[in-house]
Parts: sequence; structure tokens; C-alpha cells
Amino acid sequence: MYKGIAVSRGIGIGSVCRIVKHDLSFEPRRIEDTEAEKERFHKAIDAFVDETNAMAEDVRKRIGVKEAEILRGHAVMISDPAMSGEMDKMIDQGQCAEAALSAVCDMFIGMFSRMDDDNMRQRVSDIADVKTSILKKLLGIEEIDIKNVAPGTVLVSSDLTPSMTSQIVKENVTGILTETGGKTSHSAILARALEIPAVLSVPGIVDAVKDRDTVILDGTEGEVFVNPEGDVLSKYMLKREEFIRRQAELKNYVGKETLTADGDRVELFCNIGTPRDAKKALKCDGEGIGLFRTEFLFMDNTRLPSEDEQFEAYREAVETMAGRPVIIRTLDIGGDKDIPYLGLKKEDNPFLGFRAVRYCLGNEDICRTQLRAIIRSSAFGKVRIMVPLVTTVDEIRSIKRLVSDIKEDFVKEGIDHDTDLEVGCMIETASASLIADLLAAEADFFSIGTNDLTQYTMSVDRGNPSVAYLYSPFQPSVLRSIRYITECAHRAGIPVGMCGEAAADPLMIPLLIAFGLDEYSVNPVLVLTARSIISKWSKKEADELARRVMELSTEEEITAVLREAMKE
Amino acid sequence: MVSRNLTIKNEEGMHMRPASQLSQMASAFECDIKINFNGGTYDCKSIMFLMSACMKCGSDIELVCDGKDEEKALEEISSFIETGMGD
Repeated sequence: MYKGIAVSRGIGIGSVCRIVKHDLSFEPRRIEDTEAEKERFHKAIDAFVDETNAMAEDVRKRIGVKEAEILRGHAVMISDPAMSGEMDKMIDQGQCAEAALSAVCDMFIGMFSRMDDDNMRQRVSDIADVKTSILKKLLGIEEIDIKNVAPGTVLVSSDLTPSMTSQIVKENVTGILTETGGKTSHSAILARALEIPAVLSVPGIVDAVKDRDTVILDGTEGEVFVNPEGDVLSKYMLKREEFIRRQAELKNYVGKETLTADGDRVELFCNIGTPRDAKKALKCDGEGIGLFRTEFLFMDNTRLPSEDEQFEAYREAVETMAGRPVIIRTLDIGGDKDIPYLGLKKEDNPFLGFRAVRYCLGNEDICRTQLRAIIRSSAFGKVRIMVPLVTTVDEIRSIKRLVSDIKEDFVKEGIDHDTDLEVGCMIETASASLIADLLAAEADFFSIGTNDLTQYTMSVDRGNPSVAYLYSPFQPSVLRSIRYITECAHRAGIPVGMCGEAAADPLMIPLLIAFGLDEYSVNPVLVLTARSIISKWSKKEADELARRVMELSTEEEITAVLREAMKE
Repeated sequence: MVSRNLTIKNEEGMHMRPASQLSQMASAFECDIKINFNGGTYDCKSIMFLMSACMKCGSDIELVCDGKDEEKALEEISSFIETGMGD
């Protein structure tokens, strides 16, 4: 078995077609008739530009505008005066077209690869791609016709260039394997857009296979099998069918409300970390944002972000969600998240230290700036403020006081905002859980953060492998805590959500239905999965299961019963 | 000659797609169009120079147009950059 980076989910089983590197070496020649050489050169460029633009148009129709723009960029690059103009000059001086092309491309490749910007370093492969394509034209090398490979082909190559990937036809290619690239490379993006399973950066895979070998690749786990035994093959054929069946089933949930089997409506939101993720949430059919982490504004920066800067980011997410709720969490730093320019003091117990709302209340300027930016963004949609790591009633009161001060200022300053803006608590500490009834009297909503709640309830450092066995939201103490929090919220008449990983866990969902959770906030890619699981449970069935589970005394017993009852 | 100070707004900065669009847009004007950034001057009509400048989200730049249609060029290109270059 080989292992690589899983970049596009699904199981691919098929017959290998290797795309090998051609020999692109050439003998530099001295050119006498420079005009004729330039004509030969521009014929190659024109053919490349025409083909690339045609390919881009095809990609635009089949895949998407952004993917097409990558290819169009190649045509623009080579037509650039800094590229072809420089090459022309070199031919005028008597160099052959191949040498001129290589020299100028290599110059840019050298320049881009020295940059300290990941995005720009990736352009090296684009320039190399352009260089190779034109060099092949000049040398008269024919390409493998990727567009017309036989159905059931797995493409194996050391590297898939954008120009190769964009010729891939979904009907013919069942898998992609390469020796380079990662989750964000062009080939990964295209593979996902086409829903072709792909595993990249598999060391030595090109030499490990021959044309027409049978290979299996698992684009979820990153595993690759070459000429597998019969039992492995049949296992993966089943796995593939299961995956395809499941994907088709999930598509039925696109655009639907999230309902339990007996028709109770719950809200299914997404967790996001940047404004751009909001687009992803929408695309994945999220009904709102249940947790917008704001740390990116502070972490990807060398100084404190200004009110305007923050406002723009919040507004972008809020506008993207077009009236759907967006719950913005105030700065949650300290603990494991350090921001160098803030000069946080080193603490012996950072998770029990000066973090999240504690830090914000201790640095009122930073807190006020962020709250002003959030409240300004409330004029553009349905915004709610969520306060992390609350342990006392005073904390939520202080934040609410700040919020109402700012709203008064805004009235005076004539700044638009939502006057009914809600302020809620994250419930993620043992203290907050135990005083959930008191907090419910102050907060407009609750959101349970199961990762921290588990950590603080179990007194377990989630990063420490020696105690990892204790870190489970299915511990009776954590489950009791979740149940009590939801009861307190409902008694006070406020909604309660969950934004930890547990909200999408097929084992946890029936319990959450039984407890009456109002809002589930999950990673965008899990929206449809969560919606389908929720739809399979009726309140009555969930209640029965919860009653049984809540009587058990160990995590092991609980998960065993839940696993037995699991519906997927 | 006219100029304006701008800030790169889109999250990924001047990557290939915006650079490609921007250079095509600039090439349609007659005037010279340059960007001053980080002590360097870059020809806005060249995708290669635009990319090589390594402008990121939040980078402050100066757009300078010089020639017959400079006013129109300044307006159109500023608005493209200000609105996040299609990202």
C-alpha cells in the first residue's frame, strides 16, 4: 500500500494511464534568419494561446469561471511584453526560439521561487507549465490526449499541470494520482470540482505502476493499492458503491429544511474562520453561521486590526449570508492561541489563565473596538454577538453593558445598527454549565462549545496523548452537563445551539434531538451529512435512546449503545 | 499625471487571476499605468510585473496614470482594486 495526501473524496478503481515526462532537451543554435525564427516562435505561441483559450472556455462551461481564469492567465502571461517581448529581443540577437523561451521563463521562475509568499511560489508551476507547453510545440512533441482516455482510467503522473487537469473528462477518469501537490494545488481544486477521487504526493507512484495496471485509490484516507488482491478489490468495490450511494442520497437534502423524522424544525448552521468561508457555508447549504471565529483578523496581522478593517470583514460575511443569522464570537485568544504583537505573558496554565472574555474585559479598548465593528455590521443582516469562555454572570453583564453603551453612542453618532442585537454566552466551562440557569436570565441565547466543555469538565488537556482516553463528549459528566444547559435555556425561553465538533457526530445527534437542541453548527462540508442524520430520528425514538443512555455509568457503555442504535 | 492611494482588499492579494484581469484592463488604455509599492515601480500592463511585486491583502499602493486617458484609467482601475478584484 502507498500513502499520499487525500485531496478529493471517493474511491477510484481503474486502469493506469501514465503521463510521463517528455525529453525536452534541445541544442541551442545560432540563428541567421531571425525574422523566420520569430515567425516560427510566434506560430507556436499563437497555437498555444488559441488552444489555451479554447480549453479555458471549455473549462468555464464544464467546471467554473475561477478554474477557467487560471488557464486564461497562462495565455495572458505568454502574451505579456515582459515575456514574449523579451524573448523576441533574444531571438533578434541570434538565439533560437527554444533558448529564448527557456531563458526568460527560467528568469521568472527563479524570481518567483525566491518570494516569501506561498501564493506566488505556486505561480512557479504555472510558468513552468507555459514553458513546457510551448517548448513541446517548438520541438514537435505530441501530447497524450487526456481528453480521450478510455473510461475507467486512473491518471498517474509526477505532476498534473493545470493545462493537463483541465482536459480531464469526468466520465473517463475515475481517479488521479501524482507525486507532488497538496490540498490547495490546482489539480486538487479541479479534482474536487469534478468530484474525481484524487490522492496527491504519493512518493514513487509513477515508477511503481505500468500502463493498464489496476489501482485502487481512496481519496478520503489517502491510500493507494497497486494490482490489489481479490479480497482488497472486492472490499473497495463495496466501499465505492457505498460512497456513491451516500453522495447521491445526500444530494436529496440540498435546499431542504432541517427536520427530524417527525417534522420538528431545527437550525443547521456552519462554523467559519474567515469572511470567505461564508461563501463556502452557503454553497454547502448552511442555514446561517453559528460560529464566526474572529481570531484570523488578529493572528494574520502584525498589529491590532482597526475598527474599519474588522467592520469590513464582518460586513462581508454578513452580506454574503444575505439575512441569514451570523453569530460572531468575540476575540478568543490566550490558551493555545497566541498573538505575538499583543505581548501576552507566558502563563503556567494558559487554559486556566488570561484568555477569551477575561482578556477582552481586561483590555477594554480592544474589546470596545471589536464590539463597535460587530455592531456596525449588524446594519447589514442578522448579527448576534457570542461571548466565549464565560464563567460568571458578571462577565456577560459587563459585555452587555459595553454593547448598550456603544449602541447609545451610535444613536448619537447616527450610525446604523440593529437595535435588537442579541448577545449570547458560549457555555464551555464547568462553572457556566453549573450556573446555566443564572446565565440564561442574562443571555439572549446559548451556544455549547463541546471541545472546551469536555476539556474543562473532564480536567483533560486535549493535546496530551497520555490522557486522551478521557477526552470524550460521551462521558456521563459531559452529557449531563449538556442536558442541564439545554434545560436551563428552555426554562428561560432562550434558544440553545452547539458549535463544537459533537454537533455533527452521528452518535451525538440523537441525544441532542432528545435534549431539544435548537441549533447545530457544523463544518460546512458536514451540513448535508448532519441534515440527513437528523432527518432519520424522531423525537420519540431519540427520547427513548437518551433515557437509556443517561442511566449508564461509563463512556464505554454509552458509546456502545449509541453505536448500536446509530443511523447513517 | 494623476495618482491615488489604494489598499489591496482581496484576501489572497495580487495572485494570478486578478493580475491577469488587471493587466488586460490596463492594456486597453493609452496612458502609462504604474503601481508604486514597497519602494518599487511596477508596470500595470504586465501580468508578470504585477505578480512579481508580491502585493498582499492590506498592502498600501499608489496607482499612477500618465497620458491622454489618465482620468478614466485611474477611475476604472481604482474601482476594480477597491472592490476586491473579483475575488
